[in-house]
Amino acid sequence: MDRVTRILAGLVGASAGLLPAARREWAEAMLAEAGEVPAGAGRVAWLGGGLWLVAREALIGRVMRVMTFGAGAAGMAWIGWPGGSSNSATPLNRVYVVGTVVLLAVLPVVVRRYFGPVRGGWAPRAARVGGYALVLVLIAAKIAKDRYGSKLGAYFVIVPGLWGLDIVLLLVIAGYVAGLLILTSQHIRLTRSGLPIGIGFGAVTAGVLYTLAPLSVGVDPASPSLKWWGLAGLALPAATGLLAGRLAARQARPAVLTAEQGARQGSLAACCAMATAALLLAVLTSVTIALFPHRVPLQLGPTGRGNSYIAGGGCETCDPNDTVIPRGLRHEYWVELSVGQAGQMSFALLLLAPFLGAGLGAVAGGFASGSRGTSGRGLGGPHAPSPPAPSQPHRRLRASDATVGR
Amino acid sequence: MTGRSGFSVQTLSVFAALCAEPTGWRHGYGIAKDTGLKSGSLYPILIRLAERGLVEARWEEEQPAGRPRRHLYRLTRDGLAQAKAALAEQTASQYHPASAASRAGRRRVAEEGT
Repeated sequence: MDRVTRILAGLVGASAGLLPAARREWAEAMLAEAGEVPAGAGRVAWLGGGLWLVAREALIGRVMRVMTFGAGAAGMAWIGWPGGSSNSATPLNRVYVVGTVVLLAVLPVVVRRYFGPVRGGWAPRAARVGGYALVLVLIAAKIAKDRYGSKLGAYFVIVPGLWGLDIVLLLVIAGYVAGLLILTSQHIRLTRSGLPIGIGFGAVTAGVLYTLAPLSVGVDPASPSLKWWGLAGLALPAATGLLAGRLAARQARPAVLTAEQGARQGSLAACCAMATAALLLAVLTSVTIALFPHRVPLQLGPTGRGNSYIAGGGCETCDPNDTVIPRGLRHEYWVELSVGQAGQMSFALLLLAPFLGAGLGAVAGGFASGSRGTSGRGLGGPHAPSPPAPSQPHRRLRASDATVGR
Repeated sequence: MTGRSGFSVQTLSVFAALCAEPTGWRHGYGIAKDTGLKSGSLYPILIRLAERGLVEARWEEEQPAGRPRRHLYRLTRDGLAQAKAALAEQTASQYHPASAASRAGRRRVAEEGT
């Protein structure tokens, strides 16, 4: 029985490394207690429970995560990979499928190395799952939209400039994924309420803006909806930053939050809000265009040469530009051109929104906390984010831990 | 199986063990003895409660002779309030099932009314 106990204790100690860092100490705690349990069947059962704990917390959770991600990635590939050789968007779409899967799989490993694992609590985990789902849906919808918008492939040649733009967009998506992982990691000291506030405000704003312009077209200087976009771009980060700074100051009591710490909390929360709004808006818009391409109004091409140019058989995206489209294909060309271009405003916002949010949120957060005093002793208090709890990290688990004391 | 409070019977038994000495720190084996729970059930409950901010945990500060340091647990202020409410509700439903049911019914009606 003693040998069984030692083997089990060794297994618990060795397998504890499979657990996320935040949960490893629970296995250590169980092992430390094992010595108190009467030797024999009771101790074996106790250590058996330890193995079950590790299996349940590490393997099942990990397997579930991998399977869920695999299913999402497979779904995106199922939508994104097919495409006829005559469709000029097919090679680009396949680059997106491979690039997105690689980004989503590799970035967590890189971010974990520098910023630690996911923060405790439901909000960071839910944000990661939701963020990954949004990125997969966004790419699938963008691919479907682009495929529809390039069916007449001979007239939609993907010139090097377009390849460059799409690579930039892929890098922006990578930035979003990295930002999501970093904001939800252990080393970022965002208050407990910062993430839910940012995501909540961003989601509501995206919903309102989407209702105003579901296809994201018509957002030109003369469009009445543009002022709402502008208003949201200023009000969202300001409100989020103010609220985040205010709540951080309240949570820091009895210590006082410095203006610098308030600015940091406001900046992080507002950046999160703007990124959420931009990403959600891009997803909603792209999905709507992909599902209802015939509802996209006809619009000018990228060079904006006028309706008569396209109606007259001119090809804006051809190389050379003096290609003439046969009469029977002109309307279809115009429809595809419009679908391909629709929603580009929301993609442009993806690049700008987080920076605007971080800047305005910092000002608002600093103002919210600065008005309460600047001689603080730091962000503390019972609900303030704290560094990982002290544990026994410098001491490796030993099988003998289970047998001492009795 | 969960009670009306949303906590499982096993979780309520952990609450009862921790409520018995609310300010004192308890160790895992002591809670297991009080509740009759196996380690494989007890620790996942403690993990969830700690993640929800209802239980706080720390390691023993001094290194005791002859045994490893223990991981200690107690209810947070929020945890104590929720534990007391959940245990009171459990007791009420055990001894006065009809009145507890009618209270729940009245609360539902009031919530629907608002």
